[in-house]
Amino acid sequence: MLPVSDFKIKKKDNFNLIGKIKVKVLVIIGLLVSASFFAQLVFANNLATDGEKLAKIHEEIKKLEAENTTLKVEIAQESSLNTLSEKAQKLGFAKPSQVITP
Amino acid sequence: MDRIKAVQIFIFVIAIMIVARLFYWQFIAKVQGNFESIISEDNLPAARGEIYDSQDFPLVTNQEAFLIYGKPHDLKQSPKDIAQKIAPYLISEKYATASAGLSEDEQKAKDAEIKTKEEELTNRLATKTLFWVQLSRKITKDAKEKIQAMNIAGLGFEADQKRFYPESSMAAQLLGFVGSDKFGVDTGYYGLEGYWDRRLRGKSGRLGQETDPFGFPILVGKYRPIEPQKGASLYLTLDRSIQFMVERSLKQAVEKYGARDGTVIVADPKTGGILSMATYPTYNPAVWQEFDEKFYKNPAVADTFEPGSIFKIVVMSTALDVSVVEPITRCDVCSGPRQIGGYEISTWNKKYYPNSTMTEIIQHSDNVGMTFVSEKLGIDKFYDYIKKFGFGQRTDIDLQEESTGYVREKKDWKVIDLATASFGQGIAVTPIQMVEAVLIIANKGKLLTLHLVDKIVDGQKEEKVKAQGERQVISPKTAAQMTEMMVNAVENGEARAFAPKGYRIAGKTGTAQIPVAGHYDPNKTIASFVGFAPADDPRFVMMVRFSEPSSSPFGSETAAPTFFGIAKELFNYYGIAPKR
Repeated sequence: MLPVSDFKIKKKDNFNLIGKIKVKVLVIIGLLVSASFFAQLVFANNLATDGEKLAKIHEEIKKLEAENTTLKVEIAQESSLNTLSEKAQKLGFAKPSQVITP
Repeated sequence: MDRIKAVQIFIFVIAIMIVARLFYWQFIAKVQGNFESIISEDNLPAARGEIYDSQDFPLVTNQEAFLIYGKPHDLKQSPKDIAQKIAPYLISEKYATASAGLSEDEQKAKDAEIKTKEEELTNRLATKTLFWVQLSRKITKDAKEKIQAMNIAGLGFEADQKRFYPESSMAAQLLGFVGSDKFGVDTGYYGLEGYWDRRLRGKSGRLGQETDPFGFPILVGKYRPIEPQKGASLYLTLDRSIQFMVERSLKQAVEKYGARDGTVIVADPKTGGILSMATYPTYNPAVWQEFDEKFYKNPAVADTFEPGSIFKIVVMSTALDVSVVEPITRCDVCSGPRQIGGYEISTWNKKYYPNSTMTEIIQHSDNVGMTFVSEKLGIDKFYDYIKKFGFGQRTDIDLQEESTGYVREKKDWKVIDLATASFGQGIAVTPIQMVEAVLIIANKGKLLTLHLVDKIVDGQKEEKVKAQGERQVISPKTAAQMTEMMVNAVENGEARAFAPKGYRIAGKTGTAQIPVAGHYDPNKTIASFVGFAPADDPRFVMMVRFSEPSSSPFGSETAAPTFFGIAKELFNYYGIAPKR
């Protein structure tokens, strides 16, 4: 039969081992949280400046779309039959009096 | 308790607190109070779809437009001064022409409108109880730039879009226009804009996002924008070259014959697609507010009228189809006027042709001969075929304001109604219904639904509009017999002098008196001509109609020459050479 003191010492050793593992786990978790927090900070920082870039891009898209609309309107106006027939008349074009077949 | 354990507990408690706080902000807390000011919730209006002709040319497109507003508290000049400066740019677009191009009366009207506008603007800008006042909507880019160049403090602009019509008033009554509904949202009215409004208008979007103090979006914040979806674009069967030519011819003809109004419809008999639909007088859809409401409806589909002699081709086709007559059947009651149900039936020119064949009855447009035909048919067959031809019901063309015409109930028909309907009196039809009836004859007896939209393009999706309701109304043999009768009517009838030489054209004139308060007004007529060409392989079906022509009441002297004039141009356009 083992003496009582030996039993106590063994029990104390086991307790320390579990404690050490728990501390390691907590440290790892702490590190992970810190890393995530840092990563979040980096991304948020990048995204904060991207907001301005995005606003500029949106502005540019709007400007281009508006220009596109204006150009479309100008093309349609210039190639409308009202405009073309006026130009044709000024240039002395005449209507065909006979059917031209290939 | 040792120190390590204490640190453990401390870290654990802090971590729990952080998690709990994050959970609170993420899932429980709502952004309230001052935070609202940094969330922008802009409504993003969707661009309306365009309308293109069969050659992909835009008949209706969008242009930049602006809403101009004022902030009464931020004005540095008096409201009156500002109103005087900007009013000339905010009046009707019809005065957009340089002052030199306006007549004296127009100049006076313009000055009066500027004056009224000045007063209206002064009142609005002087409203100190409001932070923001709308001064005008849908002003042009040109007007906006001119006002902006004046650098007036307290004025601002918001971007918008409005309709632009490259061909100005071309096909106005067919296209319809865009106005605002009671919520100020762009809405299509009449014509294609009205009929296809839900497809054309698209879906407006919403920009809901957090912004920083500089107004830039915070990308890690709440960011849920909904992109607006542009409306679908319509691609029509309408050919703008034909439309342009038809509109010009119609305008000249209405003025020449002193008619109240005129309508021309040209359709493709092989597809049922409308190639042109012109009406005169018309309006300008860009400034629709300036015109009387009576111009908004398209007479080609909304007007009902007694068709008169052009209806004889429907009755004769019916009689041929049910074999109660043949083209060579002779009329044994055609030697003089007839008494039917207490009424005297006579011919339009009081000339009578005893023993006429059916072909000659159509050639002479003989009312008495037609009563012979209708008697052979009887009310049942007559009525059933009128319905089969599509009268008394919509053709289902894709236009908003189509009406059904009027055919009385079968039980109400009497012998005299049968007699008068045989030459187109006592029933009401629309011009588009008559075109459909002629198309049946041109298309070997088969009915095709008349339509304007060929395909709808929604983003990347292209949707072909399928023809519906295709059915055989009369046999191909009947259609061929009727075609020959109509060719004979053109070549030997009243309008033969106007027909272009070398072409086989099938047609029929019509002159219908207008019923007024229970009797027919002898001086007011509706002159019309329907037909198709070339008769053997038709490229187009056409109807020309004039209301109350004053130079001559007869279709043969007004509508027929216009029909042949347009037909000649169509032959040139399609490259169809004369054969004889």
